[in-house]
Amino acid sequence: MPYGEPDPQDPHALIGVTLPGDRESMREMAATFAEEFAALGFDEAQLLNLFRKPQNAGAHRAWSVLGEVEVRRIISEALEIWGRFRFVVRDAEPQPAGSQKRLVQIGDGPRLIGEDD
Amino acid sequence: MARVNNWHLGREMSYPYEARFPERQFAFVFNINRCIACQSCTMACKSTWTFSKGQEHMWWANVETKPYGGYPQSWDIKILHKLHEADPGGQYWDGVVSDERTGPYGQFEGKTIFEAAETTLDPESSRVVGYLPADEEWSSPNIYEDNPVGKKGVRDQLDKVGTELPVHDTWFFYLARICNHCSYPACLAACPRKAIYKRPEDGIVLLDQEQCRGYRKCVEACPYKKSMYRGNTRVSEKCIACYPRVEGTDPESDGVPMETRCMAACIGQIRLQGLAKLDEDGTWAEDRQNPLYYLVHEAKVALPLYPQLGTQPNGYYIPPRWVPKPYLEQMFGPGVERAVERYKFPDRELLCVLNLFRRDNRIIFRYEIEEGPKIYEGNYRGRPFTLYNDTVIAFGEDGRELFRTTVEEPLHVRTNVHANSI
Ligand code: SF4
Ligand code: SF4
Ligand code: SF4
Repeated sequence: MPYGEPDPQDPHALIGVTLPGDRESMREMAATFAEEFAALGFDEAQLLNLFRKPQNAGAHRAWSVLGEVEVRRIISEALEIWGRFRFVVRDAEPQPAGSQKRLVQIGDGPRLIGEDD
Repeated sequence: MARVNNWHLGREMSYPYEARFPERQFAFVFNINRCIACQSCTMACKSTWTFSKGQEHMWWANVETKPYGGYPQSWDIKILHKLHEADPGGQYWDGVVSDERTGPYGQFEGKTIFEAAETTLDPESSRVVGYLPADEEWSSPNIYEDNPVGKKGVRDQLDKVGTELPVHDTWFFYLARICNHCSYPACLAACPRKAIYKRPEDGIVLLDQEQCRGYRKCVEACPYKKSMYRGNTRVSEKCIACYPRVEGTDPESDGVPMETRCMAACIGQIRLQGLAKLDEDGTWAEDRQNPLYYLVHEAKVALPLYPQLGTQPNGYYIPPRWVPKPYLEQMFGPGVERAVERYKFPDRELLCVLNLFRRDNRIIFRYEIEEGPKIYEGNYRGRPFTLYNDTVIAFGEDGRELFRTTVEEPLHVRTNVHANSI
């Protein structure tokens, strides 16, 4: 871990480079995260959380730069399509007895759903 | 050197051996738009194949933060720079991006790592332009990323409140990598002992440790730096594409070809791996209903990583939508614009195929779509957008159905028996 001052001889020293980012690429990154995770089953609150949390470096940076209002707009745009649906995958083989309930791990958090949900 | 056909480059190129192609080729598509750098893939490989003494620095699967990250550090910048030195100003693409199966990205006019060797290396027997990374370059799989740092001068304590960093308009993305099981492997080309070979049944590139004498020529030559040296055994090692799973001989696979460990573990559901049928000239045989064929040759949303290096890698990537095009073009070639546009506004079939990712760990050989009713029509980001409740059905090697899913599938469903098994 880098506790001391940077040593120019250190092969690990981060070399400064210019990344020509602009507001549009930031907006596009935010829209991509919103869409991809909305398609994975995230609702509005979960998506907002994704952007607000500093651990999610990319999404959080977009939130800091674009602001909450713009991020909310991007989220509602994504949810307009991807937030409408709930679906399931069905295995071809019959499930062994007792496993008619399936564990949904992404979406509203872990929960069991039945064949008819 | 022999002349071989490289369809990524849209031309013939020099290679130390005559071309030989497997019946089917191990290949994969990674959708970068979804990768969250959780490193589950990295750990799945580590805990399966490289957990032993002497393998501490080895990450056959790794995920690096682009543009500044790399494992080993700066591997891509370094090899691109070497090629630039060998052919100043000449490393460019020409021709047109087309729908052809051979040369879909136009023509690469520059020098590959094999061609640069012919004109710049001495002695003449040198076959590949490369470099041997220093030990330190291997030591951090993704330096400066996810490294918690405490207060200056205070050891063994993390910051309680996190660190405030300046906010810039910038961009980055996560690049997941494994060995590309290249059609023209540089590791194989460089090995003086012929210890590296490509399997005729699936094109997986393996390194025979009995034959290896640890010269590290493969480590130097592989432009993706996916062959690694092990100090305590004094031989090199590399990704084996989890071949028992791909063969269906792994006890877990029940005789059915399965995707590799790093694919199966992917949390972001970015990975799809399979086997592509090859024609005699090494191009992909038309296999319209194979999802990999569809993504690479029909939709053309998945592109090879640094095709200009010349190894004809078999890993393909759906490029991230938000990254400036010149950078992506350097990394994935001229097909980027088309791939990003199509991915941004996916058509009916593409939506179905994207839904096949990580629904099952068995290899999908074919898919069919049952068309359903229109369920949404509207405008999305300034363009008309329509969604159908189509059903996509996946089939295995024996032609039997594996599973089916609807086009709008947003939830990952697993049986409650082995909820976390990979
Ligand atoms: S990626 Fe490197 S190690 Fe893997 S086959 Fe290609 S040249 Fe060999
Ligand atoms: S295919 Fe298997 S051996 Fe290769 S990187 Fe992935 S998990 Fe590791
Ligand atoms: S497991 Fe998947 S999402 Fe996670 S880092 Fe690896 S490729 Fe990315």
